[in-house]
Amino acid sequence: MSNPKTDKVPAQQLMSCGEVACEVLVNPIPRPELDPIRITLKPKVPRVTFLDHKKPNSLAILQFAQQILRQRGIEVREEILQKDDASIPMPAALLASLSQEPGLVLCGISD
Amino acid sequence: MSHGVLDDIEKCMESGWSDGLPVIPPYGSLVDPMLEALGWHASDVVGQIPDQSIKVRAEQVAATAVMAGCRCEYAPVLRALALAILDPRFNVSGVEVTTGGASVLVIVSGPVVAALGFEHEANALGANSRINATVGRFAQMLRLFCGKGGGVLQSHGTVGHPGRLSFCIAEHPETAWGPYHTQFGLPAEASAVSIMSSEGPNSCNNHYARTGAAILDTIGDCMMHFGQTAWYYRSSGFVVVIPPDHMALVKPDFTREQARQYIHTNARRQTDDLVNVGRIAIPPLAYAEVELGAMRTPLKTPDQLTFIECGAAGGRFSAVIPRWAGSQSVVCRQIEGI
Repeated sequence: MSNPKTDKVPAQQLMSCGEVACEVLVNPIPRPELDPIRITLKPKVPRVTFLDHKKPNSLAILQFAQQILRQRGIEVREEILQKDDASIPMPAALLASLSQEPGLVLCGISD
Repeated sequence: MSHGVLDDIEKCMESGWSDGLPVIPPYGSLVDPMLEALGWHASDVVGQIPDQSIKVRAEQVAATAVMAGCRCEYAPVLRALALAILDPRFNVSGVEVTTGGASVLVIVSGPVVAALGFEHEANALGANSRINATVGRFAQMLRLFCGKGGGVLQSHGTVGHPGRLSFCIAEHPETAWGPYHTQFGLPAEASAVSIMSSEGPNSCNNHYARTGAAILDTIGDCMMHFGQTAWYYRSSGFVVVIPPDHMALVKPDFTREQARQYIHTNARRQTDDLVNVGRIAIPPLAYAEVELGAMRTPLKTPDQLTFIECGAAGGRFSAVIPRWAGSQSVVCRQIEGI
């Protein structure tokens, strides 16, 4: 559950105002200079692609999800893509490839 | 102090410019001398987090140092520390957002400890000393301010630990086994800052042992409880803190390398017990290298164990600090200008 006290986005600018003048405080928080991730919220085709990130039980859960989705008539890509290490960011080539995927991409879950 | 300054402190705390404790407001008149001491210009890029499209600029690092309460004379340490935290191997966003609730453990070693007056004896893991407290706080604030992607990401630590506010340990200037940083290839005469992501420390009490082996067995046992994160991935390791009284027993019988090998060989428990209690995924992943029926070590290799010598004489305690599984590298940087 999110905590509105700690999870709110920090202020962009703070001013210190005395009786005569105001001073801008130096902002300590770096911000994304571009959108951090560009995503398409609505898939262009009704198809699901899974990405396993090699955490415990991730593959088993994804295979089970594939089965359930197919039972419900949803097209699911047969191959489950692989990210070799959950502790490192997605390689740029894989991210670029997935950004072209017209269907829905679901990433690995675990435990 | 004027009420205006108190108002500014409140403003920072209400606006997300805080780690939860009151900060020194980052007035330009305080940030500018810190920048000069750090040896950077305001717009210099100190590091990047490409996946968040973030460039961390020197002005932000200097403002964070001021807010944490650091003095300008700490700048050589802060400069090396900032570069280490923003080193891609450290994975600062992962450290910030993980359910593991990890902190940035900062270890300072070499002549800088005496030169700047770091506390390295009494309560070495939580010293009430300005430089330990504020340098440690600076590291955690930089993690908080940068790792959350400017507020885009959220922290998901399940329980975390108090080191997420400040966690800086300084090593004794004189050591039995050589300075901490020599374990990462830096020369003994250097000053260095080493960082890694970590869980909280576990105390190891043994007042009646008569041999070094008994002390190492006690330390090894502390690494082997069922709940240790290391059991499955074994991707990071542990920092062992040895104060003088335990070292007096260990040093006559073991070199640092021998102590590492001893714990790696002897601190093991039955894999099947780990399976039965749910600490091994079924089926295990290949890289977890699970061998059913065999004794399992929480260390994949002996060099995942490092030793720091600090703490006061007069008590027979050591400590074990488990590292977080998702940030596997220790980033060790030489401190210039000391």
